[in-house]
Amino acid sequence: MKRRTFLRHTGTAVSIPLLLNGLKLSASPRQAMFRHLNPDNDKVIVLIQLIGGNDGLNCIVPMDQYDNLANARGNILLPENELLYVTDTNFFHPAMLGMKSLYDDAKMRIVQSVGYPNQNRSHFRSLDIWNTGSPAEEAWRTGWFGRYFESLHPSFPTNYPNEEYPHPFAITMASIVSETCQGTASNFSMTLEDPFSLSPLTEGNGSVPPDTPYGEELEFLRISISQTNDYAAMITEAANLGNNIQAYPTDNNLAEYLKTIALLLSGGLQTKVFIVPLGGFDTHANQVEEGKPADGEHAGLLSELSDAVNAFHKDLQALGLGERVVTMTFSEFGRQIKSNESFGTDHGTAAPLMLFGQCVVPGFLGNNPEIPNQVADQEGLAMQYDFRDVYGSVLMDWFEVPEDDVRNLFYQDFQYLPVLQPCSTVNAEKLRLQAEDLQLHVFPSPFQHGAQIRFYSEGAWVKLSLFNSLGSEVRVLTNRRLPVGQHDLRLEGHGLAPGNYYLRLQMDSRQKVVGVVKI
Amino acid sequence: MNRRAVFTTLLSNRHSLLPKITSVHSGLEPYDGAWAFEQAAHLLRRATFGPTYTLIKESVNLGRAATVDQLLTDLDQPPPPINLNFQDDPFVEVGETWINAPYDNVINLRFYRSLSLRSWTMGLIHQEGISAREKMTLFWHNHFSVNGALSDPKYFYRYIALLRQYAWGNFRELVKAVTIDPAMLRFLNGNQNRKNAPNENYARELLELFTIGKGPQVGPGDYTNFTEADISAMAKILTGWGERGYNSTNPDIELETFFNPNQHDTNDKQLSARFDNIVVSDMGDQEYAHLIDIIFQKEEVARFICRKLYRWFVYYEISEQAEADVIEPMAQLLIASDYDIKPVLSALLNSAHFFDALNIGPMIKNPIDFVMSAMKQLEVSLPGNLNQKATAWYKLFSSALLMQMEYYNPPDVAGWKAYYQEPSFYRIWINATTLIHRMGFTDTICTEGFDIGNEPIKVNGLETLELLDNPSDPNAVIEELSALLFPQPLADVQKTALKGILIPGLPDYEWTVEYGLYLSNPNDLDLAVSINSRMVQLIQAMLSLPEFYLS
Repeated sequence: MKRRTFLRHTGTAVSIPLLLNGLKLSASPRQAMFRHLNPDNDKVIVLIQLIGGNDGLNCIVPMDQYDNLANARGNILLPENELLYVTDTNFFHPAMLGMKSLYDDAKMRIVQSVGYPNQNRSHFRSLDIWNTGSPAEEAWRTGWFGRYFESLHPSFPTNYPNEEYPHPFAITMASIVSETCQGTASNFSMTLEDPFSLSPLTEGNGSVPPDTPYGEELEFLRISISQTNDYAAMITEAANLGNNIQAYPTDNNLAEYLKTIALLLSGGLQTKVFIVPLGGFDTHANQVEEGKPADGEHAGLLSELSDAVNAFHKDLQALGLGERVVTMTFSEFGRQIKSNESFGTDHGTAAPLMLFGQCVVPGFLGNNPEIPNQVADQEGLAMQYDFRDVYGSVLMDWFEVPEDDVRNLFYQDFQYLPVLQPCSTVNAEKLRLQAEDLQLHVFPSPFQHGAQIRFYSEGAWVKLSLFNSLGSEVRVLTNRRLPVGQHDLRLEGHGLAPGNYYLRLQMDSRQKVVGVVKI
Repeated sequence: MNRRAVFTTLLSNRHSLLPKITSVHSGLEPYDGAWAFEQAAHLLRRATFGPTYTLIKESVNLGRAATVDQLLTDLDQPPPPINLNFQDDPFVEVGETWINAPYDNVINLRFYRSLSLRSWTMGLIHQEGISAREKMTLFWHNHFSVNGALSDPKYFYRYIALLRQYAWGNFRELVKAVTIDPAMLRFLNGNQNRKNAPNENYARELLELFTIGKGPQVGPGDYTNFTEADISAMAKILTGWGERGYNSTNPDIELETFFNPNQHDTNDKQLSARFDNIVVSDMGDQEYAHLIDIIFQKEEVARFICRKLYRWFVYYEISEQAEADVIEPMAQLLIASDYDIKPVLSALLNSAHFFDALNIGPMIKNPIDFVMSAMKQLEVSLPGNLNQKATAWYKLFSSALLMQMEYYNPPDVAGWKAYYQEPSFYRIWINATTLIHRMGFTDTICTEGFDIGNEPIKVNGLETLELLDNPSDPNAVIEELSALLFPQPLADVQKTALKGILIPGLPDYEWTVEYGLYLSNPNDLDLAVSINSRMVQLIQAMLSLPEFYLS
């Protein structure tokens, strides 16, 4: 008898307990138990992970900041006449032709300067933060999609797959599962490279493993083997039934993976989440070619990404899947504003996040980043949007998760952001509000002893905080509901080292960031 | 009591069932429990790759302490990789080494040399006896990760020779040597770190991954053990280094590291309070070594590397108990030994904690360990001449690669995820893709074998039987092979199933009789084929059990 069958028949509640590590762990997010789920939801998200920290300023160039960029990163800055026009104040890297086409078709959303307070510049720590959706100060052990799936399927992996859920919940298109899908007991994603080369594995016969660390690992291995067989059968079936209509670029690994995803979806696979890693963005050196800033390693990556995503969404549309699939990029951080002498950039802070598909709210969300006259050493882009607000909004709009549950999955200060629309109904009011700029002024700047801050509240909850050039939230000036009208606050210079700072005003889902210099 | 019952009882004493205890209480004190096959096998599985039946029995006779001494005995550097059969190298004759030879503008010499390096490396692992050196070399490769972003095999050779030289040597001196190693200078852009625009890449990883590790972020740019300002200052301290000879075709350019004073920042560099506000003044080409001495003043460095050793040799989970009773004493021992690794490793491999019953078996083998376990423990023979052996070793290299562990190409500067990524750790090796490759590998060596142009490389059931103490008894065959291949005993139901493969539906004596017949008629092809085929099917089933994936 197969192990899985054995478990099912005896009804034993075998779980793999979480092995707590010696490291100190902070509070975990509260487990949400979702109440209002729509079983007919057929939405799919594809996450493209840009491994290494993507240099947003070399993707989307804020033209209103071009002169200051020329001062800070002259040796790598893209020449104006080679850029692709997108809006009057934003041009794309010339390699992003495919994305420009998506943008012009209203199928691209760009969220400006996405990050989190107290940016951690370690690849590994920051990636953990982006994968889990934790605050910078806490180490969480489950991924954001892992928690979402676990709230729906708390006993996974025991007795999965089953008749009701025969397909993998998530697939990582790589040889290592993505931490975004890590649950308490196991990872909700399976790996897949080639859907046509899956052959059945020998399954061990059922003996109850001992209640020891050895037994736990043995149980993990047995479940992995039997699940692999069951899911593989479903994948092979979908691959045989599916097809692609549009051509994909050749010599493009990412395109191959996206093509497989389109194939599997068209063949009826019900997987909700696909993760596709794309490595090489840690461009400390030779990000651009010396003397030819439009060429180099980063340009190659951007054209791979852009061509692949463009072909993928054209194919999805041709297959009639356009309204079911959205693609989103993420990366552990952006890079510093200043370039180094190796024609590269070092680890920084915020960066733009991109979404693609028929159901995105098209265009830019947020203002262009502000590049100071004198950029500090190690300075990154000031964060405008918290990545957890993007994640949570995706769960709300795409998977119909109620806002309260989203708060429990991430944090209580969650703010909805209009990044996706359920295609049929657009939240017009939210869009209208988003379009209006918030009022935030600070004077004088530069300042020494203190500066005056003026802003207008619409009666909403208001958070005003000060970030330094490293992306740390150094002060919270207010964080409460404020009455309608004009408000003035004093920013005390005492205790602030000279340098570039950024005031970030958040009012419900809208935010505004203004730079200020302390001397 | 019949003979079989006696036998079974005897064998089951070899590894009695675990008591139901769920937490480890032992520490770094020397182990004083039983020393038998199970313990010796555990020690050699963890400290080497795939110990043979013979070596495990040798270790039982040697005793624990003497085995550990032998594991950590200094050895000469192995002879370097050579040109095995590439006739067209204008600089290197067949049979000579290429490690100091230039490249050619026309002929691609890098390709054969890369193959030579990789097969040589796998050959060293494959041929190693009771020594922990290759396991430690791979440990350092994982720790000071350098990967396929570099293409010149000369750089890799020099780098791996350095790591092997320091296998259990002085950690601080190793960090100094790695810091200006040509491969590392290139990999983390130390060679482009210049005074006017420092490149922080190496400085950050020196702190975060190589020495002190990163603590919780407790303030703006402050990671408890170091700050962003330290990274910036240390990058300046490390300015001025370069290397030459990368993929060079010029016979007059030797591969070397150099220091260029003109690119070195001579200003004072201020470290943070995390490093006692030390100001580092210009010391030219000695400044990097001074910096490493400063970092090593912090005891956290000792804890950090001891945790990594623990995860490499013992288990991924470091409980509070292990932190207090194993890691901390290891760290204090390391500090007392002025950062010599050997006494610490010896203490760990001799410790009660290492031999605690709960630490026997819960490590999922990494792919190289997995491949080597199958090849070495079943003593799969390779063809006679070096050239053909090298082809076979390269096959092992590429098999491990498919299972996601490619020597000389860890995924990034943090090394392989299985040794740091919470909460999954070793489990990261296992997924739908790698399982197919793991099972594909063991199935292949038990069926048609790997075709490398002459005799296929495959398990020989008759030769395996000759290794065993009691090959005529089918129960003993299963018991002995289980003790060799699995860290913990199988359940009775599993043994019964395995016996059903060896002698399907027949009484035990049929095996004894048939094997006896074969022994008296070794030239009877039919008998040989039938015994071999039964054995190979048994081995194939055993290697496909998840128990074989554990160490």
